Amino acid sequence: MLTLDRVQVSFGGVTALRNVTLGVGEGETLGLVGPNGAGKTTLFNVISGVVHPVSGSLSFRGKPLLREPEWKRARLGIGRSFQIPRPLHHCTVRENLIVAQRFGAGKVDPRRIDEILDLLKLAHKADRDAVTELALTEHKALEVGKALATDPALLLLDEVLAGLETAGKRAFMQTLGAVRDRFNLAMIVIEHDIPTISTLCPRVAVLNFGELIADGTPEAVFRDAEVIRSYTGEAVA
Amino acid sequence: MLELTLQALFSGLLAGGYYATVAVGLALVFGTMRVINLAHGELVLLAAYIAYAGESRYGLNPVLCIPFALVVVCASAAIVYALLARIEQDREMNSLILTFGLGVILTNLILMTWAADIHSTTNAWMLDSVVLADTLFAMRSEVVFFVAGLALMAAVHLWLSRSWQGRAVRALSSNRNAAKLMGVDPSRTEVLSFLVAGALSTFAGIAIYTGKTIYPALGHVMTVKAFIITVLAGMGSIPGVLIGAIMIGVIESFTVTYAAASLQELAGMVLFLVVLFVAPSGLFGGKKALPR
Repeated sequence: MLTLDRVQVSFGGVTALRNVTLGVGEGETLGLVGPNGAGKTTLFNVISGVVHPVSGSLSFRGKPLLREPEWKRARLGIGRSFQIPRPLHHCTVRENLIVAQRFGAGKVDPRRIDEILDLLKLAHKADRDAVTELALTEHKALEVGKALATDPALLLLDEVLAGLETAGKRAFMQTLGAVRDRFNLAMIVIEHDIPTISTLCPRVAVLNFGELIADGTPEAVFRDAEVIRSYTGEAVA
Repeated sequence: MLELTLQALFSGLLAGGYYATVAVGLALVFGTMRVINLAHGELVLLAAYIAYAGESRYGLNPVLCIPFALVVVCASAAIVYALLARIEQDREMNSLILTFGLGVILTNLILMTWAADIHSTTNAWMLDSVVLADTLFAMRSEVVFFVAGLALMAAVHLWLSRSWQGRAVRALSSNRNAAKLMGVDPSRTEVLSFLVAGALSTFAGIAIYTGKTIYPALGHVMTVKAFIITVLAGMGSIPGVLIGAIMIGVIESFTVTYAAASLQELAGMVLFLVVLFVAPSGLFGGKKALPR
């Protein structure tokens, strides 16, 4: 459903993404890993329209994306959550979701909002202020919720698990699995925690210095010599 | 003495009403576009001069000039937007230069068309005095436009909190990137905020023309005042802007009553500095930190 073809991104003289070719199928979950600065978030920025590649092409369900602005891509079905929570100020949790739904999905459907609130375990905070009255996990859940409310077919999750302790990670991961199955979503998940990624994603892609160096099952990828080297920086004997 | 104080308070309150309508327009545009429109006061002044032209040349009631002024001011606001939208780099800085320049152009167009004379309405009904509680005096236009201004502010508040376009404005003001990812079209929302600011400016312009006096340099004064009020309020809260506007109005009116009219602008500035020292994020705009 999503195809990136030889995508190249440069910031001044720095090449952030080099010839990245990658596809994600309907309902597929892809884990995206790589050391800091490898270009993972840049890749998300390209897909959601924040960053424009210098060359290469990008299409979603057969539709070329490069000319579409960010808000149109959201309406086409690409949802994204940020690493740092960005709720709307002076709004309740429910209002945040409703605004995302109205503009991203084009119609308001309170039943779906309730379903999202339930799935993300936010129902008891639905009418609380989204900025001041949520715990960290709930902020993360709201980020996912806002993306879900736009009725996406593809969900981009940028380190939604970062900052959570192990038990919290495991619980949130189960929630994400339930969300994916319920809405039949394709997902790309950026995450550093390898056990987490291996459980959630049947397929993993590795970026290093802007290049795609591996793509396959978690077992194969995390045994790959180049991948290990990119993480540890050591030569493999 | 008490009577004088109450009168100063009352006059300040009335002035605060239309100051608030000027300030909300500025704040709306700042919220959606992160641009301080330095030509905002000139848009207000344009509406005031259209009312003057309508009254002096065709004998129209200033209120009847509102539809025409609305069209001209909103069109001008749309032009300001169109020019701002063309700025591709460093919008915060370049927009200041652009809008400052547009303000100078507008001021001088007004100067060329209507000369530097001071004008105010000649409408007897507007100028007539009304007495409240036997001791408080005001011009009828001041009271009428204060009440209408409050109603207008309430309408904008409702629009922002209840309508989808209003929510889009708030979403964009709250977090531009997040709003875009929610599917909010930024350009459309920005245009809308400029048009609403244009409508508020039109109202304020007519209020100033009928309640005060107008002259070409007033636009700049209005911009500065609106800016002070928005910063006082801490951006993004309509009740806050209203209270900030009334504070400025009252302080100015006390200065005029007990010190000198020439110190009026200074008093507002001093208040502004004091607030910046004591509460840098404004009186009502304390941004709460997010947990990370």
